[in-house]
Amino acid sequence: MKCARCLFQLQNLRWFGPCSAVARVRLLQPCPLQMQELRHFHHSRAVLKIRPTAPVEFIEDKEKNKKPIVQDDLFERVAKKNKTKATFNRVVDVFTKQDVRRRGHVEFIYAALKKMPEFGVEKDVTVYNKLLDVFPKEVFIPRNFIQTMFNHYPRQQECGVQLLEQMENYGVMPNVETKVLLLQIFGPKGHPMRKYQRLMYWFPKFKHVNPYPVPLQLPEDPVDLAKFSLNRIADDLDAKITVYQMPCTDLNESGQEITFPHIVGIQSPSQIDLLAKHNPKRPVFVEGPFPLWLKKICVYYYILRADPIPPEEKVEEPYDPERCFDYPLQLDLDLDRDLGDEENFDVEDLDEGPVFAMCMTNHGDQATLNQWISGLQETNPILGHIPTLFRLDSGTRELQVSVDFKPGPNQEHQESKPETEERTAEEVEEQPQIRHSMKQ
Amino acid sequence: MSLAQISRLSVTQLVLRSQSHHLLSSVYPLIISKRTVIQEPYRRPGQPKENKFPWEKINFDLSKGLKGIKKNFALLKKEFVERWVGPEGKPIIEHMLEQNRVVWEFRGAESLEEWTVSSDREIGGQSEAYVKLGRNNNTCLLYGTLRSTPPRDGETRYSGYCTMRSKQQLASFDRKKHFDWTSFNTLHLRVRGDGRPWMINISCETFFAHQKDDIYNYFLYTRGGPYWQDVKLPFSKFFLTHRGRIQDDQHCLWLDKVNTIGFTLGDKVDGPFQLEIDFIGVCKDYAHTEEFAYEVYKRNPEV
Repeated sequence: MKCARCLFQLQNLRWFGPCSAVARVRLLQPCPLQMQELRHFHHSRAVLKIRPTAPVEFIEDKEKNKKPIVQDDLFERVAKKNKTKATFNRVVDVFTKQDVRRRGHVEFIYAALKKMPEFGVEKDVTVYNKLLDVFPKEVFIPRNFIQTMFNHYPRQQECGVQLLEQMENYGVMPNVETKVLLLQIFGPKGHPMRKYQRLMYWFPKFKHVNPYPVPLQLPEDPVDLAKFSLNRIADDLDAKITVYQMPCTDLNESGQEITFPHIVGIQSPSQIDLLAKHNPKRPVFVEGPFPLWLKKICVYYYILRADPIPPEEKVEEPYDPERCFDYPLQLDLDLDRDLGDEENFDVEDLDEGPVFAMCMTNHGDQATLNQWISGLQETNPILGHIPTLFRLDSGTRELQVSVDFKPGPNQEHQESKPETEERTAEEVEEQPQIRHSMKQ
Repeated sequence: MSLAQISRLSVTQLVLRSQSHHLLSSVYPLIISKRTVIQEPYRRPGQPKENKFPWEKINFDLSKGLKGIKKNFALLKKEFVERWVGPEGKPIIEHMLEQNRVVWEFRGAESLEEWTVSSDREIGGQSEAYVKLGRNNNTCLLYGTLRSTPPRDGETRYSGYCTMRSKQQLASFDRKKHFDWTSFNTLHLRVRGDGRPWMINISCETFFAHQKDDIYNYFLYTRGGPYWQDVKLPFSKFFLTHRGRIQDDQHCLWLDKVNTIGFTLGDKVDGPFQLEIDFIGVCKDYAHTEEFAYEVYKRNPEV
């Protein structure tokens, strides 16, 4: 039987515990059910501890007379101040030592599953195995086909399934110890074992399905986090990150502490080229903050963009034939594409205007973003001549576009904006002269 | 839900597994509930059972009837006329040779009429989801907030989801019209998300009544950022689920009678979300020869 093979495998992994030679001999027998000697009902061989079991303190000695009907109290009593993995394990030990027959183990396991997030052990597979060990072994295994058909010990099976479902919720992968335990408790055909098999089938299939994976441990430092997220949204491997300002606190003249937020920006060479070709009469917009979710954290980024060039001003630059000598970049062939060869969708291309740079900062007000723009000016001197508008509203973030664009910076106030939810738009004009003075 | 049902994997958990997600409710230890014996639609806990006969639920109205007659006869006429042009209203050579087809594009307010948005408000949760046209009326923006506090009805354990689903297309006289995508094998979307993991649901026409909630799912991972994201999902990757649980007996998605497509968000993170969709199309990728991505093993595999 394969379960014996699992047990053997487990032995080879973890067997350094203090066990008698008799126990070792027992294990090498083919089928545990046919053994004549004392069976390990309540204490799985699979979970034998490496170190000798220290006597568990019976804090509840005095209260043993009062039956703990509500199992949550057990957790509250044993782990009053600190809720760690060690105290959780200790509570489980208290329960297992309390009663040989494990009365009320189903309620206890449900209560423990609910308490796991408080103790911080919900992603730990060893804790789940320990909890699974609370079930008495070999009692719930069906002995004939009728028992197998009719959901033998349904409440316990449901409890086992709920335990595995919580593992699935938190994305915890079970290991071979879980399998052995499930075999010993519910047998090879029970519902928990089927759930385990489904977990082991589907989890590996979908583990690497994300084309933009986020690492498990995100960097704690906000500057590193900003660098990571800017690299993620930049869509260009050539993009360069510059840290314009590190977070620091400074003392004002009046002695007040001012904290300077970090400013991290990113720009790629193609964006630099696009900005250099931008018509200085048209303004550029600093828009934001836009949300970016990384697992459970939301960070905000700002972008520098311009409106799309109206078709009359578009200049088609001919391909420079000296750019590539291997093959011609432009062919003047008179071939027609057949219906079967159409590879593009029949949908108009949305031109939303070029995005010139992106940045992330803690505190996104105009002063900080001004600093970013001045930092950008070092690599893009044309920014000194272009009027910059700030659109920093805190409603739903979509890239806004001006519906009727009138050239000339003085008329920007009359722009009509598409509606957003709670709009508190601040539009401020920056004249090129002011920019120069700030630079000095 | 029965033990057999809850021992199947829930679909939206897997989204988070690879991202670092909850669908509907998971009934607390009620092992055999009446809902499994006769598959009834979801009834919100606490609501009394409606004991109306089916004919009592229809409301008869003259103006509604007249509008219906006009609409249906117009559709009928269109169907007769387009038959002369070719199958499905397109010339036959186009129908046979087309490689790309834009199925939904959001250019104008009437394109939003084809979609239904719902969130867990219906089961008593607090998430919100809205849809509106994006800037320049060129895209569709699905936005809102997710809140995963479960409703306090004693039954529901998880909550916090929102979905946008296309409405069932109707031919004349309210007959169902299906999409025929047999000549395509990839779903192509142009989206701009904010980094949250979404799930795409495709539901097809089924024969038996208890297959009504069969949905084929796959993940849509958004990158976030100001750039548009082109997502190409082959239909061979879609796996079969029923009421949010992955089924054991998998088969590939049959493209001849597709009914609806939908987007769901159910990662367990509370907070605002937004997804902008430019267009949804289907295309034929000749380089993709896979028929189905998931092998089917025995029904009772050995341990």
